[in-house]
Amino acid sequence: MKDQIQIKRERGLEEDNQSYFWIKSEGEQRLATENLVPGNQVYKEKLIIKKGIEYRLWDAFRSKLAASIMNDLEIFPFENKTKVLYLGASTGTTVSHISDIVGPSGIVFAVEHASRVARDFLDRVATYRKNVMPILQDARKPKEYFSVFGKVDVVYVDIAQPDQTEIAINNCEMFLKKEGYFFLVIKTRSIDVTKAPKRIVEEEIEKLKEKFDVLQTIDLHPYDKDHAMVIAKYKN
Amino acid sequence: MYSVILTELGISVFNEEKLERAFSFSNNVKEYLAVKNKEAKLNELINYLFSIQRGFVVSDESLLAILKKNNVDCQIMDDSKLEIIQSSKPQIIVDSGFASNPEDALGKLREFALGLSSSIVTEVSESPDLHIIQAINSLDEIDKIANALSSRLREWYGLHFPELDNIIDSINGYAQIVMVGKRESFTKQTFEDAGFPESKVDMLSLISSKSRGGDISDVNLSIVQSIAKQILDFHDLRKKLEDHVESEMQIIAPNLSAILGTAVGARILGRAGSLKKMAGMPASTIQVLGAEKALFRSLKTGSQPPKHGLLFQHAMVHAAPRWQRGKIARAVAAKAVIAARVDVYGEGLNETLLEKLNVRVGEIGKKYENPTEKDMRKPQSFERDGGNFGGRRREGGRFNDRRREGGDRRRDDEGRREGGRFNDRRREGGRFNDRRREGGDRRRDDEGRREGGRFNDRRREGGDRRRDDEGRREGGRFNDRRREGGRFNDRRREGGDRRRDDEGRREGGRFNDRRREGGDRRRDDEGRREGGSNYERSNSNKKRKRFGRR
Repeated sequence: MKDQIQIKRERGLEEDNQSYFWIKSEGEQRLATENLVPGNQVYKEKLIIKKGIEYRLWDAFRSKLAASIMNDLEIFPFENKTKVLYLGASTGTTVSHISDIVGPSGIVFAVEHASRVARDFLDRVATYRKNVMPILQDARKPKEYFSVFGKVDVVYVDIAQPDQTEIAINNCEMFLKKEGYFFLVIKTRSIDVTKAPKRIVEEEIEKLKEKFDVLQTIDLHPYDKDHAMVIAKYKN
Repeated sequence: MYSVILTELGISVFNEEKLERAFSFSNNVKEYLAVKNKEAKLNELINYLFSIQRGFVVSDESLLAILKKNNVDCQIMDDSKLEIIQSSKPQIIVDSGFASNPEDALGKLREFALGLSSSIVTEVSESPDLHIIQAINSLDEIDKIANALSSRLREWYGLHFPELDNIIDSINGYAQIVMVGKRESFTKQTFEDAGFPESKVDMLSLISSKSRGGDISDVNLSIVQSIAKQILDFHDLRKKLEDHVESEMQIIAPNLSAILGTAVGARILGRAGSLKKMAGMPASTIQVLGAEKALFRSLKTGSQPPKHGLLFQHAMVHAAPRWQRGKIARAVAAKAVIAARVDVYGEGLNETLLEKLNVRVGEIGKKYENPTEKDMRKPQSFERDGGNFGGRRREGGRFNDRRREGGDRRRDDEGRREGGRFNDRRREGGRFNDRRREGGDRRRDDEGRREGGRFNDRRREGGDRRRDDEGRREGGRFNDRRREGGRFNDRRREGGDRRRDDEGRREGGRFNDRRREGGDRRRDDEGRREGGSNYERSNSNKKRKRFGRR
């Protein structure tokens, strides 16, 4: 366990990946991002100051992107200045960390339909982070998005709908630039409770193959049960 | 070629690449929404367009509709051009003079997004059905709290006057007597004031004079009395909430109230998320709302699907013989959805709905008067620890599950453990007896009883106490109940693991988040399972698995 983290940490440094950091906290190496808004907590995560820089610990149990990193994510296209379209922002846990990573000149278009969680999202994340564009719209209607412009580098989709993959593909067609990256959280239980999770993941990946090169599939166990993260690259 | 472009900050008219005229919004959010809803007047723009006297291409369909209505000769832009606009939006905003530079444009766009998002949140939060849902949920929660508190009160005051517990069932009555003070100070008047019938008053005065209980100090008594006071307050609050839900439901959803009754209607509304969502649901969903666990078990394992969820509380359903309930629940659900639709999109009270329902239920009652052989079959039983539904994993989520699931069967176990609702203990007497009588059939029976009991509770609250007392005595249940008390505590103690887990989740706040997202039942299901993985975390230190390796 320790070795693996060590390896990961080294790999992170080797690749000169300064997007996220490994910080020692309570005797463990934990994932963290540099806080874009020092002093500001989003979900009561721990803030750690090291060498004058404030970091926010990134909880893999709450953020599926962090869970993917813990489970050997190979490509991490989020970096400084990245433009991201994020579907299913929810209360903004993951959005806040992506916002940390892309920095002031990056931008995150965060789409969320449910007004209840959007309330928290606006209160905790969107008001404080200048690079977050809150969009309260249904991801099924990408034409209705407001304040969106241009193509994005990464589309990240975390929505709990039976037709989530189709919705995601529609959004990619409208907003993802060529060779852009696509992160899809497959919630097998939202798609069909009666089927085996593995089979659902295979079926959903099959749907992607026409327009995407699937690069990696990660089972998010033990952080999330019956969830998988698919990382793909837009073809045309 | 002239093009009319709608942006978040205003409407601009371009001739090829050159700006001809820009009409900025003074109140971005409001005016943008007005255009999107096709309500905007836009006189200035239209006059200007007329003055040019040409054909236009328009970037937005709503704007196009407004212009067409005003007889402006225009058409929608082609996709390639729309895409260019979409990608160069900040530049267009700068060119139109709505912002001084691209950064400023970005800031203004963000301001707009925040403003519009906030206004949507505000608008949604204002809808009255959300308040009804909060009210009915508070009511159910108050029931739970009052129950727990009442058990404690009985336990504590029982040290001083143990016999009282057995005689008085109503939570309110017990608390009222405690408010009087020590048992030495009780008079007949005390009991009469608390509203007990004469026969009971006599018995009470007799027993209070020769109680087996010990003395209670003034300090202790005053605390016990504060608890009793709280319970009485809760009772008042509950009554208030009940009236409030009733009157609000009549105003906001008169048809739904007519079909389902206000309380059941409000609960189903709470499950659905909002009146509008409910109106969009299929009747079959309404029918099993609150029985998600049973439904998904049925989908997964092919066991019998639930016949009713929360609808069981409906008088027509739960008063019907067992074999008719599913059919009646289906009929009620069908009419309930129609009622919800009338409430959202129609007006006033449609009386034919209830009439038709009554006719249909009458038909069912006649046609299926006697159970068929199939109806008499024992319901299938479920493996307790097999498959996906048993085992320790789930424990973490159980407590929460229970609250969420109306029609689940296994739940009653827990209900008992936790003291359950008002009058829970009373029910237990009956249940124990039944269990003995009916042997294997218990689970299904429990379900009926559980829910049935709950419904009755409500009616019974002020009502006939004596009969129940007797029932209890016959059941010889005094000891039973005692045991239960002990068990409740035991459980809690041994469940150390589980509890920590619960807490973990609460701290994480994640579960709450999930729940709040509401609406989607399937997601709930998932949330539960995720609870499971949380549990695992505490035990197995971050196991790793990938799809490939498995």
